[in-house]
Amino acid sequence: MIAFATAVTKPDVHARCALPGIRRAAEPDSVVLDGPATGTIFESYNAILDRAAGLEDLEALVLVHQDAELVTDGFCAIARRALEDPEVGLVGCVGAIGVRSIAWWEGSVTQASFANRYDEHGGGDLPAFSWDWSDAPPYARTGEVETLDGFVLVLSPWVAREVRFDVALGGFHGYDLDFCLQVRERGRKVVTADFRAIHHRPLQMIPDLDEWTRAHIRVGEKWDGRMAHVGEGAGSWQDRALRAEAETAAARVVAQWRALEAEARVLQAERALAEATNSLGWKLTASLRRS
Amino acid sequence: MIAFACSMMDAEAYRRYAGPGIARAAEPGSVILPLANPAGPARGANLALETAARLPDLEALVLVHERMELTDPDTCATVRAALSDPEVGLAGCVGATGAPGLAWWEGQVVSAPIVHRYHEHGGGDLAAFAWTHPAPAPGEVDTLDGSLLVLSPWAVREMRFDEGLHLPHGHDHDLCRQVRAAGRRLLVADLPAVRHHPLKLIDDLDIWVESHVAVARKWAVAQDDEDWRARARRAEAEREAARTVAYSNASLLEARVAELEGRLAAVTASPSWQLTEPLRRLNAARRARGGSRPG
Repeated sequence: MIAFATAVTKPDVHARCALPGIRRAAEPDSVVLDGPATGTIFESYNAILDRAAGLEDLEALVLVHQDAELVTDGFCAIARRALEDPEVGLVGCVGAIGVRSIAWWEGSVTQASFANRYDEHGGGDLPAFSWDWSDAPPYARTGEVETLDGFVLVLSPWVAREVRFDVALGGFHGYDLDFCLQVRERGRKVVTADFRAIHHRPLQMIPDLDEWTRAHIRVGEKWDGRMAHVGEGAGSWQDRALRAEAETAAARVVAQWRALEAEARVLQAERALAEATNSLGWKLTASLRRS
Repeated sequence: MIAFACSMMDAEAYRRYAGPGIARAAEPGSVILPLANPAGPARGANLALETAARLPDLEALVLVHERMELTDPDTCATVRAALSDPEVGLAGCVGATGAPGLAWWEGQVVSAPIVHRYHEHGGGDLAAFAWTHPAPAPGEVDTLDGSLLVLSPWAVREMRFDEGLHLPHGHDHDLCRQVRAAGRRLLVADLPAVRHHPLKLIDDLDIWVESHVAVARKWAVAQDDEDWRARARRAEAEREAARTVAYSNASLLEARVAELEGRLAAVTASPSWQLTEPLRRLNAARRARGGSRPG
């Protein structure tokens, strides 16, 4: 039996996003363990794991963010196939290798089978690179990774019983990387499989920068020297500090440049739009458009 | 006498921008020093300083970047007012306090009215550095942008750009630190200008990063008690956050542009727009004829 669970902090979001996906993916005997979140995501997920560990015949536990929607038919068959190898502990649809920090997307992402559905500026979808395999780049593949994006995680029964989220790390950020590292440290594999999900979220990826920064530091300190490359960097601490400070400033200036670029494009489009809609021809044909 | 100098890589830019601005700002007795840049910004600027140091009755040296156009005919009066306090060693048109490195725009910015004139996307003017929410000039700062620097006679004689910093960025920031280390003050003066610059703020980002590191390393020597491990951990986290935010913001802006461009496409694809195409062509032709009419 494959169980599904969500830690719910926003019931409307859960009802609109996660629930339809779980209904689509679940089998008749699936157990759904949704309920209000109990504290941080670490604590909520641990409470779910404690409940799931007691379920008889558990084949897998699927942890789904309340804003994530599973969209692949035959999801359970895919999850079972991925967990056929008893060494596999975790499965997801977005993963990376070469990961050194909770910013796992700065590593080499091997699979990103999701679309970011946003509401800003009229709304839209941003499909990631392996949403459509026919259009995927050469580095896209399923298989073993170092970490998964935690918005959808499939846990083997062993993981559901034996591994817990580290509540010492904070409120939210870094829980997925840390969990993957724990699973790998204990000798199990973390893999991606060929299923897709829609992530219903704003385009702003980190709304709480200070908390994210603290989590980055905590996870780096926890795993430095314990798992290859995590928390590591080239050079002395002074070298690393000075370089990172420079690169931070560079990243910010790139953001400003892109903002200026966008502002110029907006001005150009607004000029063209105003010219078009103020033209005599456009005004003369207004009644045509109304009809 | 107030002298003006420009150490240039691009003579055409000087002819178009800095040259006319200097002509507008200079007084009858001003000495103007257009100099070819022999080998890098520090050496070029030092040549201007050495040349100006030999000028009799020097009241100030105004170093102008080739893409910076002074717009105020009363520039010399503003320069004199800025340097009337003998403790002021350097002045400029934009600067900041509290910025730890080359990225002065990350501090509390003080700015004269500067226009950013760009040519991409049909061209246009923006208020330069508006995104830093600058306080208006005048104001004391601890670093200045080097695109326009006013040096006191003391600074012209005693200070030099560090030619040991081999990369092309950061000499202005370093000079500011030297001036402050020598006990003099820095001021943003009300020197309006047009900055003729592409929208891309830094052309060679990798080299800018290396320049940032080099200047930081030079001035970090005095900070032996620093907890470098903690600082590195925080800086690496902030770097990755900044990159992620940059990506998020780009996605947001792209969505905004796409929305507008979609509306424009809807207008121009509409039957009524296509129906009135001959009218627009006729109007365009009439405008063209009107524009070429003599007198």
